[in-house]
Amino acid sequence: MANQAEPIVELRHLSKAIRGKKIIDDLNLKLYPGQVTGFLGPNGAGKTTTIRMMAGLMKPTSGEVFVAGKSVQNEFEAAMSNIGVIVENPEMYKYMTGYKNLVHFARMHKGVTKDRIMEVVRQVGLENRIHERVGTYSLGMRQRLGLAQALLHDPKFLILDEPTNGLDPAGIREFRAYLRSLAEKSGVSVFVSSHLLSEIELMCDRIAVIQNGKLIDIREMKEDSRPHHYIEAQPAAQLKAVLESKGYEPVESGAGFIIEEGAERIPELAKSVIAGGLDLYAVRPHRKTLEDEFIEMTGGGQIAEAVAK
Amino acid sequence: MLKLLQNEWMKLWNKKATWVMAILLVVGVAGMMGLTKWISTMEENRAESGGVSVEGPAAAPDWRMQAEAEREGISAQLADPDLSSSREAELKEELQIVEYRLAEDVEPHGSYSRQQMIKDSSGIATLAMLFAIIVAAGIVATEFSDGTIKMLLARPVRRWKVLTSKFLATALFGALLTLVGFVVSVAMAYILFSPDAGAELAVRSGEVAEVSVWTLTLYHLLLAFVNVIVYTTFAFMIGSVFRSGALAIGLSLFIYFTGNTVSALLSRYEIAKYLFFSHDLVALAQGITFIEDVTLPFAAAVLVAYAAVFLVVSYLVFSKRDVTA
Repeated sequence: MANQAEPIVELRHLSKAIRGKKIIDDLNLKLYPGQVTGFLGPNGAGKTTTIRMMAGLMKPTSGEVFVAGKSVQNEFEAAMSNIGVIVENPEMYKYMTGYKNLVHFARMHKGVTKDRIMEVVRQVGLENRIHERVGTYSLGMRQRLGLAQALLHDPKFLILDEPTNGLDPAGIREFRAYLRSLAEKSGVSVFVSSHLLSEIELMCDRIAVIQNGKLIDIREMKEDSRPHHYIEAQPAAQLKAVLESKGYEPVESGAGFIIEEGAERIPELAKSVIAGGLDLYAVRPHRKTLEDEFIEMTGGGQIAEAVAK
Repeated sequence: MLKLLQNEWMKLWNKKATWVMAILLVVGVAGMMGLTKWISTMEENRAESGGVSVEGPAAAPDWRMQAEAEREGISAQLADPDLSSSREAELKEELQIVEYRLAEDVEPHGSYSRQQMIKDSSGIATLAMLFAIIVAAGIVATEFSDGTIKMLLARPVRRWKVLTSKFLATALFGALLTLVGFVVSVAMAYILFSPDAGAELAVRSGEVAEVSVWTLTLYHLLLAFVNVIVYTTFAFMIGSVFRSGALAIGLSLFIYFTGNTVSALLSRYEIAKYLFFSHDLVALAQGITFIEDVTLPFAAAVLVAYAAVFLVVSYLVFSKRDVTA
């Protein structure tokens, strides 16, 4: 649905070399309004560098980032006025109150009124502690304040780097719901990088995977619905032979195998396994988690290739 | 830009250290004046008790005796055939003033008179400079060390504007401290010291004329502020280039304290004239210099040029830097 719209953010041939070493290599990516896009990659893949180039904190060696049609590199102020950023831990001025921090950042944007500041404070649920020094805040409260400063100017595009660091489970859930409603109701495009794959899975419509500075995959989260089943029987080698004879490509997983198969033909398969004299221990539907996919896509080179579908 | 300056000003005064510095300045200046008063009282007491001191005559010598001695000293210096023309002109003016004093019986201000205390008040600029250096060194560096630089720069405001607001805030802080210190110093001069009948003299277009102590002091204060700006700009540059406040404070103070020695050692060479730490404008205005042929406008131009270079370096580095902190 969202893909029909014009992209709000576009990365065009983005590259970054530091001391001759390519950190980011020809990255192309489009982000759409109303979508939450997850940004995944192993440590050192270039996530933070990419995000910092999008936030105007680093200059690309070549290529450009466009936000609402404006280039972050050449029309800095126009492009940045559409972006809200939380880069890693939101480091605020600890010696000032939360409110003064927000006033500080509000002054750097056009047209953020006192009323708007208080509105955002209420939205993130900080109204009781906003006039206390940030130094006294817990990590979770700082995250809320970090979100508040990113939302002050009603950005069309929100960049979040590891946003749920330090939030408790209830806080994470609330945060997730809040981001989803921002995307769905206000049409904000959200770009989230995180190590917490389960988090990304629950939050995102789409994921982009980066490895060694290259974008290796972009996919819609809901599209992958091919059913899989997990089957476990002894002896395992014999089970594998049975499965292969039936035309499956069994993938070893723990003590059993994963095959691509819907529920309809499972009873028949189970019967033939038992008829073959094997001891059947388990047959259950298998849902590939994002973690499996992530490891499959990025994990340890050769292994990933051997396992490829 | 005004909003950015407001931001920097707010951050500055929300730090405890800033208040500590301001209070220290007020207490320090008031304390120094109090100490001076105490010393002057002690000396007066000694003089009244009959001048029985182990170290020669304790009674303040008559100003006329001093003036005579000064006249002889200047004449002796003028007899030196190697004297440079600018130095010769200075000495001749001084001689003219001393002779005028003796001829017209115009007393100079006593060392503990209110007028002299007001005149000396321009010296508080040094103290203000110390604190301004500390602020200048940290104003960019702490944004990096606290990690707030990311929040500050991911905004629709070009970096040079952010840096300008920081520089203006520092300069404003330096000016404010100089002014506060000066006001406190003058107030103490009025409270603790009484005026005397002396007069300040200067040579104006060949004629000796009386000048107001205020004109002279404010002129000195302005000159001192130029020095304050040069050192603060240096600290500001080091702080924004190396992102280390400690390095910036250390280096600035090191240069401030060793600069005189270094330029004295180099004074025979041409290069000494072009070093920023060679020039103390207030001293220069009073005719004190150890480098030949340095005029006040020349020294001021050198200082302004250095400040400009320091600023350009800060801007270039700050606007190009990748924020990786």
